[in-house]
Amino acid sequence: MSTDTSFENDFATEFEDDEDGVQMLPATSERKPEHYPVDISTKAFWNLTSEEREETFKILRKEQPVSWQRPVDDAVNPDPDDPGYWAVVKHADIVKVSRDNETFVSGQGVLFDLLPPIFLELTQSFLAMDNPKHDMLRKLVSSAFTPKQIKLIDDKIKLAAKEIVDSFASDPSGEVEFVAACSEKLPTRIFSDIMGIPEEFREQTAKSAADIVAWADPEILGDRLADEVQVEAATILHDIAEQLIELKRREPGDDLLTSLIAAEVDGRKLDEFEIGSFFVLMAVAGTDTTKHTTSLTMRAFTHFPEQKKWLMEDYDARIGNAIEEFIRYASPVMTFRRTAVKETELGGHPIIPGDKVVMFYPSGCMDSDVFENPEKFDLARPNAREHVGFGGGGVHFCLGNQLAKSMLRAIFKELLFRIPEFEAGEPELLGTNFMRGVKRMPLRFTPEKVS
Amino acid sequence: MGLRIELDPGKCSGLGLCEAEAPELFEVQEDGSLTVLDDHPSADRRAECEAAVASCPTEALRLVED
Ligand code: HEM
Ligand code: SF4
Repeated sequence: MSTDTSFENDFATEFEDDEDGVQMLPATSERKPEHYPVDISTKAFWNLTSEEREETFKILRKEQPVSWQRPVDDAVNPDPDDPGYWAVVKHADIVKVSRDNETFVSGQGVLFDLLPPIFLELTQSFLAMDNPKHDMLRKLVSSAFTPKQIKLIDDKIKLAAKEIVDSFASDPSGEVEFVAACSEKLPTRIFSDIMGIPEEFREQTAKSAADIVAWADPEILGDRLADEVQVEAATILHDIAEQLIELKRREPGDDLLTSLIAAEVDGRKLDEFEIGSFFVLMAVAGTDTTKHTTSLTMRAFTHFPEQKKWLMEDYDARIGNAIEEFIRYASPVMTFRRTAVKETELGGHPIIPGDKVVMFYPSGCMDSDVFENPEKFDLARPNAREHVGFGGGGVHFCLGNQLAKSMLRAIFKELLFRIPEFEAGEPELLGTNFMRGVKRMPLRFTPEKVS
Repeated sequence: MGLRIELDPGKCSGLGLCEAEAPELFEVQEDGSLTVLDDHPSADRRAECEAAVASCPTEALRLVED
């Protein structure tokens, strides 16, 4: 490659077409600096706690907001030709990359880890598509997540939250494993309601969805290989989707699956595989994220009891902003990737087509250029809503953000007013570089008096 | 001098974060498109308008004075 002006052409000839006609750009080590000495690709780094990782992100934000890193260790599907990626750790750059969907595309993969193509096809749906196809597919489901729709199911969400807290609040032992008893229950139930999943399929759906995001966690893997577990879980979810499609064809319901079966894009119906991938994406995106935010927020209340008190003084007026801070502070989705398809510049570095760019959302949420005193869990934080926990904006911005907020509002109302005296113990964390997950966490509390 | 809301439908992804901020000014329709219910809001709605514009993740809204 001789001059700068020639490389768009050079690249054009290297394009490979996959079946969908998506042009896969090869990555290159062309015009790259040395890998930056502050290395965030080690297995050890991703086994630290978020607080420990934040120490490193802090250094990067200061020294090298956009750093060239070697490929992540222990990838599920390592690629010997992968030269590395740009790590984007500042709030402003995360927003810039997220919103420039013409330069930074999703169609060449969005996960930080390198995963088998078959897995990606089974699970990603419009998360890993670009426009115009992304919007066409997303619009089929987005109408189920607008403010009005969420309001319509608000009573259902409140009732579910109440019943879940009923199941343990007066337990005389005053101790539960919080994740199983509470955090995971609400999102699973509401997701299942929206999708129209009958009772007998719910548990398996939740379990397989959790297996998908837990891919690098040694406990969940046992002696199986990560790609085996993932592909198996994704296949189970596709099987469930297939059975459900058959069921809904016979007995249509007032649910998202029924409307997906009827939906048309470009004059044709979705096939079963497409609906299946939708189903997997929604099962993962809609359940684990809210579950972990719930657990992490209980832990935050344990560390900042004065915040709990402040919120309870005027819950209805304060919870809106408080939830933004819950999400900033938990930032449960840790990474998503884009691929550059145009030449541009980030943090003073030239970015060329094919470059992988990885965004680290928890780091953006702790950026002191935006958030004063970021380590403080501060429910009155005036700009909490500027967090990038739902992404930095752009066409992939979290579809479920209003639903997530509605669920958090309902569950914390029950928890705080019915068992106000509680202490969340040390969480057992999921060992992956995608989700800041809590596998288990003991909760001790003063049981509710049964009247 | 009045306020005017400009929508770029090409950018709008129909999620309704604007509607969550200002339900009297915005409404997402069944087909995912957004209707601006009042594109010349009165001056006392400025704060609401600004919040709605700021909340939009795709920068599809603009508030102009004319
Ligand atoms: C606290 C809870 C949640 C958090 C922190 C969260 C976070 C995120 C993030 C960071 C993204 C990627 C944004 C980007 O690439 O720019 C995303 C996308 C997405 N989320 Fe959420 N999410 C949550 C809850 C939910 C829920 C409840 C649903 C329910 C359906 C959901 C559905 C989705 C979908 C479908 C996408 C892909 C959107 C697209 O590619 O167009 N999320 N979410
Ligand atoms: S917030 Fe923006 S993208 Fe969402 S509906 Fe309103 S204008 Fe459209």
